[in-house]
Amino acid sequence: MAEYRLDCLGEACPVPLLKTQKKMETLKVGDILIVEIDHSCAVKNVPEWARKEGYNVEIEEVDDGQWEIYIEKTK
Amino acid sequence: MKIQDNPYYKKLLKDPWSYTSGAVILALLNIGLLASTGKAWGVTTPFSYWGAWIYKVLGGNPESWFYFQQKAHAEAIKAGFWMDAHSVSNLGIIFGAFLATLLASQFKIKKIKSWKQVVAAIIGGLLMGYGARISFGCNIGALFSGVASMSLHGWVFMIFIFVGAFIGSKLLVKYFM
Repeated sequence: MAEYRLDCLGEACPVPLLKTQKKMETLKVGDILIVEIDHSCAVKNVPEWARKEGYNVEIEEVDDGQWEIYIEKTK
Repeated sequence: MKIQDNPYYKKLLKDPWSYTSGAVILALLNIGLLASTGKAWGVTTPFSYWGAWIYKVLGGNPESWFYFQQKAHAEAIKAGFWMDAHSVSNLGIIFGAFLATLLASQFKIKKIKSWKQVVAAIIGGLLMGYGARISFGCNIGALFSGVASMSLHGWVFMIFIFVGAFIGSKLLVKYFM
């Protein structure tokens, strides 16, 4: 049940999504990845991809124009 | 109730609109722009004028260049910024985008993450600017306005956008991942 952070601040599409996909491969079931994002399109496509994979996703707006996306690897 | 919790604020100003509503609004506004200015919408041609005006301020003489001797361009740089409809509409795009970001309270000055980003942005910008001049427009002037006016060149542009995006994606994965 480890927790990892992925710093995607200052990255534009599609880099945050590609980095998230790559990182999720290395996680074990039950682990949580927190993706830090400040690119509004990535707040759309990262959760969209993760939900399609069947993972649990939660988005938190931590500051103006900055988000943390929690992704739990469920399988 | 705080405005942040108001469902209409969320729906209209905070959350992104769907691609479909964006497309319909873009089409309607484009009809209005064409009807009121009599010219198909373009974005990058004014940038060449902005460059010419800046160059003139610095003491250059862009009027002597072949490009700025073309009738439409010559008249436009002579008439000035506020007489060029698309220069003004570009200004509107920048202010509109800024306003939308402020209303959603998502304004943030982002840090530059690496020198690679700077290099890629400069090379990409130069290629886009050069490409937009030799193809008579960018994805707005050549593609959007081209397709909307049933011109073949817009469709040719679209095919090669995919070729360019494919190569660009490969380079992106190679250098930024």
